[in-house]
Amino acid sequence: MRILPLLLAAAALPALADDDAAALLLADKTANTAEQAGDWRVYTEAAVRESRPRGAGLARHGTRLSLDARLDTTLAPGWRAVLADRLDLNRADGASGNNDVNTLKEAYVSWQAQPDRIADFGRINARNGVALGYNPTDYFRVGALRSVVSLDPASLRENRLGSAMLRAQTLWEGGSLTALYSPKLGDRPSAAAFSPDLGATNARARWLMAFSQKLSDALNPQWLLSGGAGQSPQLGLNLTALPNDATVVHFEWSGGRSPSLAAQALISPDDTAFRSRLASGLTYTTPGNISLTAEYEYNGAGMGRSGWDALRRGSPAGYGLYRGYAANVQDPATRHNLFLYAFWQDALVKRLDVAAMVRHDLVDHSRLQWLEARYHWTRVDFALQTQLNTGAPGSNYGASADRRIWQALLRYFF
Amino acid sequence: MNFRQLAAGTLLIAAAGAAAAAPEAQALLAASDAIRNPGKPFSLTTTLVEYRNGKQVDANTLTVYSKADANSGQFRSLIRFVAPARDANKLMLKNGNDLWFFDPSSKASIRLSPQQRLLGQAANGDVVTVNLAKDYKAQIAAEENVLDGDRQNRRCYKLALAAVSADVTYHHIEMWLDASSSRPVKARFYTESGQLLKSAYYRRYQAQLGVERPTETVIIDGLDPNWVTVMRFADYAWREVPEAWLQRDYLPRFKPE
Repeated sequence: MRILPLLLAAAALPALADDDAAALLLADKTANTAEQAGDWRVYTEAAVRESRPRGAGLARHGTRLSLDARLDTTLAPGWRAVLADRLDLNRADGASGNNDVNTLKEAYVSWQAQPDRIADFGRINARNGVALGYNPTDYFRVGALRSVVSLDPASLRENRLGSAMLRAQTLWEGGSLTALYSPKLGDRPSAAAFSPDLGATNARARWLMAFSQKLSDALNPQWLLSGGAGQSPQLGLNLTALPNDATVVHFEWSGGRSPSLAAQALISPDDTAFRSRLASGLTYTTPGNISLTAEYEYNGAGMGRSGWDALRRGSPAGYGLYRGYAANVQDPATRHNLFLYAFWQDALVKRLDVAAMVRHDLVDHSRLQWLEARYHWTRVDFALQTQLNTGAPGSNYGASADRRIWQALLRYFF
Repeated sequence: MNFRQLAAGTLLIAAAGAAAAAPEAQALLAASDAIRNPGKPFSLTTTLVEYRNGKQVDANTLTVYSKADANSGQFRSLIRFVAPARDANKLMLKNGNDLWFFDPSSKASIRLSPQQRLLGQAANGDVVTVNLAKDYKAQIAAEENVLDGDRQNRRCYKLALAAVSADVTYHHIEMWLDASSSRPVKARFYTESGQLLKSAYYRRYQAQLGVERPTETVIIDGLDPNWVTVMRFADYAWREVPEAWLQRDYLPRFKPE
């Protein structure tokens, strides 16, 4: 009988649930792996590509080898230097596809005179805008694309030229003011492989001021004013809101007097008027961590239905000039567009990210569809991308020579 | 004293005890917050190691600068990703529900919703410091012995925490605090419907910035207990964090020492 109280006492002792005990055992075995921050981020990427034309015709193949390096280092207390460069070596069926392009993305120094006062000098990727598919307030996007390796908006934002400028910023609690001046340093873009290509980004003098002030926990608008030689000042606004725990709403607008894209591209009679550009939408994240974005894009300087139809029926040279100009200034060719984007991190299996994008032209109903599956190990990414362009001949996305593109790429981080 | 008087007296004492317990529970919770969180602006390095079915599937290292808001008492944090290499130098700002992600490669500042998770199992709010006493109302539910994360038998207060506002990550929490020191021992986090979201053990107490603090949190997923995240905290340092830094526009500027 003496054993009974002992048994009762033992039963009263606390115990860990099996799952908890197993988890703590794992934690016991976890090595200390804290890594130190480095100034460099360098990766190399190899890609193979197949593009199939619309209609009959042979598929074309190409390869690309890229080296991408970014240095962000402290030179002395308060002094920081940033250098970002990318080299793309492209090989394709036919000699015309063989081109090597070096993109000097950024090269600047920063001086943080005080914790809240900073000046920068050099080539800077000065990017603004809260929208995902089209950024009307990203005034320095013009001429910035030198080597397009993917149509993923994230890739287009990353692989581009900064503009040479002098920039100053002051910050205070809940707000900031930025002013920058970017001088004219060249006349025209250069196709030379290792050109810094200042003629593409600094073909005319430009300036920008950005002011933001937090009005409440929910509201923190950013106002921008941008101008330059040969253009009227443009006013911009960026706004985000959080209607609930899972949704972010964004609104980006730019407006001012400007000629239409057609007038600028085709050097036709000046039709300067007040024009708006707008991108607004929302991102909803599901409990399973899938982020879904829908965005409406309006380009008041782009072609409406009748103008677009007329241009498509007109001379191929004029059509080509217009398309080329719109692509260079990174504006939609037509007035109304819809952008849908989905991103699923750890899609069914850990380390597999899936991204899907649809760009739908609401004027001519052509469509670009893009899908990427990316699996990543600690230092290696493997991605498979496919792109499908559909639409009538001469339409925004139907005009592409390629109907279907496949690309596989392997990226190694040093 | 007859039975009725005795019963009435007992009820009175119980009622007085219950009335006194409420503020005491809140004070206990505040004391445990002060153990997890330094009282002045600080920085630390957080390493997250994630396991699935006993196998390591991911690891991240972050540098975090934190500062409490003078009015709300809640921490605002600037976070820099250190590892893995693909994420190195990416940044995040958490100022209440104002969450921003910045990628220096694309210069893109993207606003995140609290439901958007960048780091697998860890909610964005888990990575940074949180003062629970500001967002939850605490009551003492029990006093009991539990095994702590270091498998020591420990006398604990079990607190029941109820969210004061709807915009917090967890609807209610059960939290065990060491009865003698208010050290957090373990916690269980629930949804509104009572679904267990995760369990956490606070362990490996070490002297950091003048106080014995847990330098490891072991998080076990509520739905899949084979999904385990080990969070380690190191390199604690006092750090001046100007108010002007705790906004979206400072993210491109933030470079930890």
